[in-house]
Amino acid sequence: MKSPFAYRPRPRPLQLASPTAAVAYLGAIVAVAFLYSNPLVLLAAGAAAVTAGLLAGARRAVRVALKMGAALALLIVVVNALVVSRGETVLARLGDWPLFGKVDVTLEAIVAGASGGLRAAVAMIAAAVYSACVDPDRVLRVLRPLAGRSALTATLVSRLVPVTAADAGRLRDAARLRGPGAAEVGKAPLARRLLAGSLDRAVDVAATLELRGYSLDAPKAKNRRSRSRYDRRFYAVAAVVLAAAIAGKAVGADDFQTYPSVEIGLGPGTLAIAVVVALSGFAPWRGRVSSLSPMRRQTRHPEAARV
Amino acid sequence: MRGCRGTAVASALLALLAAAGCGLGAGADVGDVHLTVTREYGAVPMLERSVSATESDTVMRVLEGEAEIETRYGGGFVHSIEGVAEEDRDGDPYDWFFYVDGEEAEIGAADYDVKGGERIWWDYRNWSAVNHAPAVVGSWPAPFVDGIGARRYPVVVECMEGGRACELTRQALEREGVRIASGSPQGAIRVLVGPWQRLRTDSTARLIESGPVESGVFADFEATGDGYEVVALDEGGEVGERLGLGAGLVAATSRYGGPPVWVVTGGTEEAVRAAAEALDGEQLRDHYAVAVEAGKTTPLPLGKP
Repeated sequence: MKSPFAYRPRPRPLQLASPTAAVAYLGAIVAVAFLYSNPLVLLAAGAAAVTAGLLAGARRAVRVALKMGAALALLIVVVNALVVSRGETVLARLGDWPLFGKVDVTLEAIVAGASGGLRAAVAMIAAAVYSACVDPDRVLRVLRPLAGRSALTATLVSRLVPVTAADAGRLRDAARLRGPGAAEVGKAPLARRLLAGSLDRAVDVAATLELRGYSLDAPKAKNRRSRSRYDRRFYAVAAVVLAAAIAGKAVGADDFQTYPSVEIGLGPGTLAIAVVVALSGFAPWRGRVSSLSPMRRQTRHPEAARV
Repeated sequence: MRGCRGTAVASALLALLAAAGCGLGAGADVGDVHLTVTREYGAVPMLERSVSATESDTVMRVLEGEAEIETRYGGGFVHSIEGVAEEDRDGDPYDWFFYVDGEEAEIGAADYDVKGGERIWWDYRNWSAVNHAPAVVGSWPAPFVDGIGARRYPVVVECMEGGRACELTRQALEREGVRIASGSPQGAIRVLVGPWQRLRTDSTARLIESGPVESGVFADFEATGDGYEVVALDEGGEVGERLGLGAGLVAATSRYGGPPVWVVTGGTEEAVRAAAEALDGEQLRDHYAVAVEAGKTTPLPLGKP
């Protein structure tokens, strides 16, 4: 079974767009998450990333990223609540703890942690959408003239990690098939087996790359893929989102304070930024689906033929 | 059976948490604390309140509850109170400092727990010359009555040829309900009473002659043919005014983070007596130190010319 984050070619705008356009678009959403602390804007960025993922058909990736993001956000909230005792509104007194000292759980620390957690979750969802929707081979082709080895390493990792995850699934299935009476397979033996398998595979990949002359200089791309008709849309949305975010920041749309007391700005500037960012999630909208037969569509979109 | 065991474990855990001082909300009242907010070394009063404190209160929370403040660095540092924010004014840095029971705290306001009975004083001041004034007299009768931050200290009056001023000092303290210890107990708050010629033999009191950077006291003494005269310094630590032999001084300092040492002194016996007569809330309140001359109290430091 493929990892939910593994790239799957689909005839959707985000997959068909050039990698730079897709990265610019998803990067703009992540940039908003790192520029702003206001929970409303962060929620809008999260909604945009989720919408983009769903419209691009990466439903599983979004679902898993949401779960992981929620777990990470919860962890950040709990740690912040225990470590930071500042803030006016004390919700609970937990006494003196060996490592943390006096622990007072305050509303302000929880809100500050939630803001940080939300930011991490947005970044995680956007990364999941990127992983599931942007072809790593095309990323390699774009990056190869700039940093060939790094691009190759990154691409191999993005390919081999899902393969290792699939290996783990197969090994678990095999263990289950031994029947209910068989002893349970521990995590350590499974990890050892996966490590050994991945090293074998790495050696094979290295040998294949050597045979194909990957150590030589990169050849000039002959049949560089032409630009996608969706590129302009994603670049434009990324530019609008970034420009609005920077302008909003300059005029104080990121009005949010956690200490000494929680103050969340919900002024017109903040609302406008939130609306713009949330709407940017519809950029991968396909519009009216073509009436062409699936076969004809696959012919028109070479990416889709690889499904 | 398993359910009973779970209930018992949960009950035991809750009982343990309760015994460890845990609970929901801000906790029970621990008594009143006195909050004062001033500017310019206490010269401009901004706020004065008596506030009911709870178990979970810190110096920061007490302030937050009574004033509009802005903080920096994750809520650990006060940036502004009632709109008065840290700034550079004519090249001089101004910032907020706080004292609890007349002692400058070594930890942040957000980490300073209050136990009830404290006198908290926030002052916005120029710190170009002195960024550390370890003790002040402006929270009188603190630290003598309830100690510092609810930690009690023995109080000793050391009479160093102070004559009648020693008796006046004892009476002033006793009027506030202070029990004066006899002998030289360890870790006591000391009140040194006597002419400066005698007090300067004490290593802590002598810090005053090293200037405000060392002692936090904006006063100096100059030797004349007849004794020592008090010199009042301004905020920049420069000589502001020579007050003469008849002027007394009430100030507080400390050495190596030890308990405060108060000095009730002057150039002559009369000057020391004048200083001792100034030991009351009306004359000392909200001042870092005071000089007393001919019945007139001059807060120190002097304002910048």
